[in-house]
Amino acid sequence: MTATERAAFFDEAFLRRLEQLELASRRLTAGRMKGERRSVRRGQSVEFADYRTYASGDDLRQLDWNAYARLERLFVKLFVEEEDVTVHLLVDASRSMDYGEPNKLEAARRAAAALGYLGLASMDRVSAAFLGDGRATAMRPVRGKQRAHELFAFLSQPRDDRLTGLAAAARAYAGRMRGTGPLVLISDLMDPGYLDALRDLAGTRSQLSVLHLLAPDELEPEVPPDARLVDLETGNPVEVSGDDDLVERYRSRLADWQAEIAAFVSRRGGAYVPVSSDIELADLLFDVLRRRRVVE
Amino acid sequence: MIAPLALIGLLSLPVIVAFYMLRLRRRDVPVGSTFLWQQLVRDVEANAPWQRLRFSWLLLVQLLIAAIVVAAAARPFTATVSDLAANVVLIVDTSASMATRTADEDRMADARARARGVVERLPEGGRVTVVAAADSASVLVSETDDRAAALEAIDGIQSTELPGDLTDAFALASALASRDSDSTVVVVTDASGDELPQAGVEAPVLVELVGTTDANQSIAALSVVRRAGGAQLDLFAAVANPSAAEATRRLEVYADDTLVDARELTIPAGQRSEVLVGTVPAAAGFVEARLAGSDALATDDRAYAIVPAETATRALLVGPGNPYLENALALLPRLELFAVGEAGFADAMAEAEEAGTPYGMLVFDGVLPDEDPRIPSLYIDPPADGPSGAVTGRLDRPVIDRPDPDEPLLRFVDLTSVHVGRARQIEPSDGVRGIVLTPRGAPLVGVGEDAGRRLAFIGFDLAESDLPLQVAFPLLVSNLVDFLVASEEGVLPSSMRLGQSIAVRVDDRLDRVRMNVRLAVGDGYDVELAVADGRLTLPGADAVGMRSVIAVSEEDDLNSVELGRTAVNLFSPDESDVGPGDPQRIVDMGRVPADEGPPPQAARSEWWWPLVLAALTLLAIEWLLFHRPSRQRLARALGRRPQPLAGRAR
Repeated sequence: MTATERAAFFDEAFLRRLEQLELASRRLTAGRMKGERRSVRRGQSVEFADYRTYASGDDLRQLDWNAYARLERLFVKLFVEEEDVTVHLLVDASRSMDYGEPNKLEAARRAAAALGYLGLASMDRVSAAFLGDGRATAMRPVRGKQRAHELFAFLSQPRDDRLTGLAAAARAYAGRMRGTGPLVLISDLMDPGYLDALRDLAGTRSQLSVLHLLAPDELEPEVPPDARLVDLETGNPVEVSGDDDLVERYRSRLADWQAEIAAFVSRRGGAYVPVSSDIELADLLFDVLRRRRVVE
Repeated sequence: MIAPLALIGLLSLPVIVAFYMLRLRRRDVPVGSTFLWQQLVRDVEANAPWQRLRFSWLLLVQLLIAAIVVAAAARPFTATVSDLAANVVLIVDTSASMATRTADEDRMADARARARGVVERLPEGGRVTVVAAADSASVLVSETDDRAAALEAIDGIQSTELPGDLTDAFALASALASRDSDSTVVVVTDASGDELPQAGVEAPVLVELVGTTDANQSIAALSVVRRAGGAQLDLFAAVANPSAAEATRRLEVYADDTLVDARELTIPAGQRSEVLVGTVPAAAGFVEARLAGSDALATDDRAYAIVPAETATRALLVGPGNPYLENALALLPRLELFAVGEAGFADAMAEAEEAGTPYGMLVFDGVLPDEDPRIPSLYIDPPADGPSGAVTGRLDRPVIDRPDPDEPLLRFVDLTSVHVGRARQIEPSDGVRGIVLTPRGAPLVGVGEDAGRRLAFIGFDLAESDLPLQVAFPLLVSNLVDFLVASEEGVLPSSMRLGQSIAVRVDDRLDRVRMNVRLAVGDGYDVELAVADGRLTLPGADAVGMRSVIAVSEEDDLNSVELGRTAVNLFSPDESDVGPGDPQRIVDMGRVPADEGPPPQAARSEWWWPLVLAALTLLAIEWLLFHRPSRQRLARALGRRPQPLAGRAR
């Protein structure tokens, strides 16, 4: 991966910070001691993959003493994980996502790229897909940090999807997905079939995390007194009078909706993370997702 | 209400309400998805032309604004009583002292505010004439009942640098008052010694007195004389402190814009300090004196003087010989004095003519020439009828009447202790006037012109009075010589008063000249003036500075030649004494006392302006309400973001 490709999403310093994190995979690691996934399995593979700076708790037998002799710094040799953990990153690319300041789709691309890099840095297999127009456009799974540029290139592709068709797209992806592991859906869920989509994705035995991404003015709407709200996806208008009463009812409806999704996801062992598109990526990863145990 | 018809505008209120009920064309607002909105507005009646009226702060504010604007347009008022007559002549003093400005006082602004107050106090149907008065009067609006026009005229009044003279303004007021007995004259002034006419006004005169400070010092005099045959210049400057507190000011003297002297002067209250400066270079063209720092009035902090040319006038004293007179004349640096007896007069004149050095002034002491030489002359004790007048008899022990204090030829000349034994009774010729008179009007000293030639006379033998023993004598002689041999730099006098216009003769070939004006404060400018038949009229100067007149001609020997220059100064003790004066002498101009004036009349005090203020405030509130979403967006852009949901989850 060249510096230019990395720079499309992050800088080197941010990437180094990302390497301190790892996607949580509660199902895959069930029965194991916590922290075990931080090092590769012993004797499972001889395929060298990468170096990582030594961290407290790492297996001392995996230290590269030759490197220590040359550099006087401790490095742990990483080997390909034998157990096939695949990180699935699903990004809603419908036109409703191409909205907001900051733009929701751009925020989703960056969040997916960051989470994907976590997976690659942990030697997980990473698969990403855009959901739009009832289809799932997925990339070939990749593994290893050196393949990060493929992930970033895929996530950077321009999208011209119009409708979400979230349920159909999620079903299509779930039907052909290979490998289990963390599955992160980044979407505004502005689709009538959002519950069906969540149900299908939760049924894949993956660890489902839903990043419910909304623009600031979708969280705190600012509506002129006499407005005709035009749906970017369907073009359907809705006439409203933007008074305090309407805004209050909107807030109430939004809260109910988010509570409904949270309960739905929680019942299926998933994590629901409502997020505003103006949140700083560092805050999202190092604070919000950490608290929600999506990353650790 | 003055305009109740405006209440028709209240019909706009139901129209505003109707607009709120009418489903108006809505503004398209793109949103990511209407997914949530659709569930909120399902209960809204779709596509109906009218909708249920809901409470809206915007509607309330707009209704209030409309009601207030309509009320203001109806011009509500409360009935009051005015102390003014139906016809008011409002005189606003714009003389130099009105330019007084300190950190706490802007006298002209205060005057405008007072003048506005007068207009607002006018009785119903009252008319006002607004007059701005400095050294002359100008009518800004005449007998108008249009208060807006009067107020606009008042707002445009500015102070001048001119000395104050209310003569014209009162003449005008008198003419207006004579046409309408129901008149009041109101003078907005600081009463700082403005000139007043002799005659009063047939109406009560009220004074709106403005001004508080008197903290001003001024350059009261500035002149330059040549000594030692012209090789040395002596500058005389006087700095006056008419305020009630001692002041220390720094006097700076510039010669041709180069600083040549600076000194600190401490001037007691009400006194003046005089200085002689001998460091002015002999080659200097003009000098400028400045009071450094600032005080209440800036106009009198600068003064200019033209340095006199090096040539002295040859003067011939004809008579038996009088040492007092000879000394007085010899002391004058502008004169090169010669003396001769009566018998040698004709030969002396012939010799001078032959040598090409004619005399510029003659003094006849007790004698009269057989043939008048047509040269500026001073006649002392003329024995017979002469150019100055006819001798009609003798006056024994004539008493000297109190002279006119404004007579420039008697400046600094104190004649109160002068006694005269005998004098000739002189009937002045046409063009000759007495400046020192007996109580019966017989002239003892006079000046005038005879066919373009200046002349003066002292109508008594100096030996028969104690005048030569008094300090007044050399001063009187000096002033008379100044009059006879006008100190001119080219065609112009060396100094002029602000506002003084002058007509001078220039070369007949000229049809126009360029006048360069250098101002003490601000940029100078050039202006072209027309010359008619060799006669040039310079308009009165309205600012302190210097003026020079330059020929504009197609003839090379004439073009760009400086014809003369003059210094323009304020030098007005009254204007420099900026402390508010006693208004009683202005009030006394009214022959009708204020309490005998017209009875109080009904007036209206309009109060539409608070309504307009309220409407503007509400308009601002409406703007804030309407643009509330925009402001929220702006606040977010500036970093004060609303709490994101992710944040709530923490």
